[in-house]
Amino acid sequence: MIKLVNVKKVFPGTVTPAVNEISFEINEGNICVFVGPSGCGKTTILRMINRLLEPTDGDIYIKGQKVKDLGVNPDQLRREIGYVIQQIGLMPHRTIEQNVALVPRLLKWPENKIKPRVKYLLEMVGLEPDKVSKKYPYQLSGGMMQRVGVARALAADPPIMLMDEPFGAVDPILREKLQDEFLKLQKEMKKTICFVTHDINEAIKMGDHIVIMNKGKLVQHGTPMEILANPVNDFVKNLLGVDRGTKLLELTKSEEMVERAEEIPTEISNKNCFILAIDPVQRALELMMKKDADIVGVHDGNKFIGTISWENIKKHINRISGDEA
Amino acid sequence: MEFEMDRFINTLIDRSPPHALEHLQLVLIPLVIAFIIAFPVAVLLTRQRFIKYTDRVMAFFNMGQTIPPLAVIAIFFPFLGLGRTPALFALTIYALLPIARNTLAGLKGVPREVKEAARGMGMSEWEMLLRVEIPLSMPVVMAGVKISVVLTSGTAALGALVGGGGMGAVIFAGIDFFRAELIIAGTLIIAAIAIILDRILTLLSNMLTPPHMKI
Amino acid sequence: MMLLNSGFRWFVYFYEEYLGFVSFIFRRFDQVLEYSLNHFSLVLTVTIFSLILWISLGLLISRYEKLANTAFGIGNILFVIPSISMFGVFITIPMLGLGRTSATLALVLYAMMPMVRNVYRGIKSVEWPIIEAGRGMGMSARQILFQIQIPIAWPVIFAGIRITVVMITGIATVATYIGERNLGRFIHHGIARESADMIIAGAILVSIIAVIMDYVLGKIEHRITSPGLRNKEEL
Repeated sequence: MIKLVNVKKVFPGTVTPAVNEISFEINEGNICVFVGPSGCGKTTILRMINRLLEPTDGDIYIKGQKVKDLGVNPDQLRREIGYVIQQIGLMPHRTIEQNVALVPRLLKWPENKIKPRVKYLLEMVGLEPDKVSKKYPYQLSGGMMQRVGVARALAADPPIMLMDEPFGAVDPILREKLQDEFLKLQKEMKKTICFVTHDINEAIKMGDHIVIMNKGKLVQHGTPMEILANPVNDFVKNLLGVDRGTKLLELTKSEEMVERAEEIPTEISNKNCFILAIDPVQRALELMMKKDADIVGVHDGNKFIGTISWENIKKHINRISGDEA
Repeated sequence: MEFEMDRFINTLIDRSPPHALEHLQLVLIPLVIAFIIAFPVAVLLTRQRFIKYTDRVMAFFNMGQTIPPLAVIAIFFPFLGLGRTPALFALTIYALLPIARNTLAGLKGVPREVKEAARGMGMSEWEMLLRVEIPLSMPVVMAGVKISVVLTSGTAALGALVGGGGMGAVIFAGIDFFRAELIIAGTLIIAAIAIILDRILTLLSNMLTPPHMKI
Repeated sequence: MMLLNSGFRWFVYFYEEYLGFVSFIFRRFDQVLEYSLNHFSLVLTVTIFSLILWISLGLLISRYEKLANTAFGIGNILFVIPSISMFGVFITIPMLGLGRTSATLALVLYAMMPMVRNVYRGIKSVEWPIIEAGRGMGMSARQILFQIQIPIAWPVIFAGIRITVVMITGIATVATYIGERNLGRFIHHGIARESADMIIAGAILVSIIAVIMDYVLGKIEHRITSPGLRNKEEL
């Protein structure tokens, strides 16, 4: 749906390109996360998609059309793309209702369509419309403002969303909550989302697809599993962290690591250690520690399908992060 | 209106100095007194005990600038008559607001964490004021003093109207006799005084500002 | 007893010296009216021109930074020139001479500094994320100016207008030296003739006008500030 072809950006007055010939495609309905250290160019790419910045070279396509050609002026394009930034940027002199309704009003939606939409959106992001609509941004907490920011971006129901560290300005606990809620929303909305973060854990959690960048260049891209399992170089390994293997465990479903078996070993039935096939392997580890067991049984809803053992897991982790041991 | 070059030079060199000196006094004396009044008052207003008076006191200072200085002189005429004293009095009142307002703003602008840390280290409120708050608010306070200087300098010209002397006398003479040299010469000297004072204050401000805040 | 005595003395003195001006005002009522109206019309004219001229300039330099330094430089220089000189310089210009035009032009120039400065500061005070969000959502430059920047900057701009109006009201009194017939005339003639009543009448009238304008504009300023912005500290 979104395609970048040889996109390059050199800022005036600098020699090194901020974005150095990136080519990449983002599929419809996916969350694509751009991750990398500060200055790697991820925000720059984001801002080129909605033409807040123009590339020095290369093209960006949305649904096959060059972004340059879409719409009479960039403003038109941006009204159809949701944009969420870290500092949120709510209009301090307008009520929450006016803030959320901004793009619909720009698009000249009829008033009787706007009001219920605002109500719906605020509820969707977990706020109470009656309490919050008439308030002003300064009366809201950071978390609430962040949610309003998301609601605002969703207001005109754009197919594409650009999000630049949208949950960055809140504490880790709230951030996790917001991430979970957003993922739930996305399950229903199925929007095409470009997400920028410097936090690899957030990238792994949120991304259907991850693009790792460094100094303007694309280093590796793939699904979180692919990247965790096969980091392409030391930079990626460092980025992923030494607990790469364990991270992978959280993503791997038990059914993928299970050793098939017909009979339930006595050890397991005695201690009653069972997990579901769709549970992440991480769950098996937790259960092992809790019940002081070496082996865990795997259920497929109603049938016993096999086991996962501590040896099993150890081998798996070592294989992945083995070269650091 | 006529303008003759040699008359112009003559005015600058001969006629002006005594008036310029008077003018300087008309600017410096009110400024010093205004500072002595406005600065401590504004500082007090930032202390817990006196915060509630802020609005009223600032409204009072505000009046000092709302009412035209000439009017002030006129209102106190029965007590002070005409001459230098009422001129100095009116100019002092006029100079109060910028100093008060900027002192207030400067002190309020000191980051809360810094004050918190200072108290946490055991500084008494007095020490904190002297060693932390005032130094950190210096740039803003001095900006206010500079504004006062410029305002006073311009308004001091009117002192001549009430017999207070100063460069205003030269300018008024120029208007009365329709001689451009006097007007322009007088203006240049007043402007020069204002600019020189401004520079001196900038130097002073730099000396008093903590190093990390110097621009 | 002594206190009461001097208190009484003060009261009589006060009464004699000060309230003389009241009868003066009644005696010369048509003059008072004429001068007051002239005063108002001068201030009004200057304000209207200043608004048009300086708000536009302020918006311009907030967009084109390079002009800002020059603009402030000029404004500063103008401000340093004493009012009487400004008037004096203008009457030397052949086409203008004495009278309303010179006075208006001079006052408009004085208004430059406070107006342009406040417009600039107001616009600059709008934080970057707000404008970035506005752009990102697809607002055109014009929409950003009128729907975001100006509304947020408006309280500061209006404060500038208030300062300007009060200042101009005061300086307008000096314009009587170049032919204006406003309340300043009472003060100046009063000084020339050493008539306390006249001086005080002029002074009190001008002061009352200035204070009322300041008060009224202050109330309007409070009203037009969006509640979302009120908690910002005023500098």
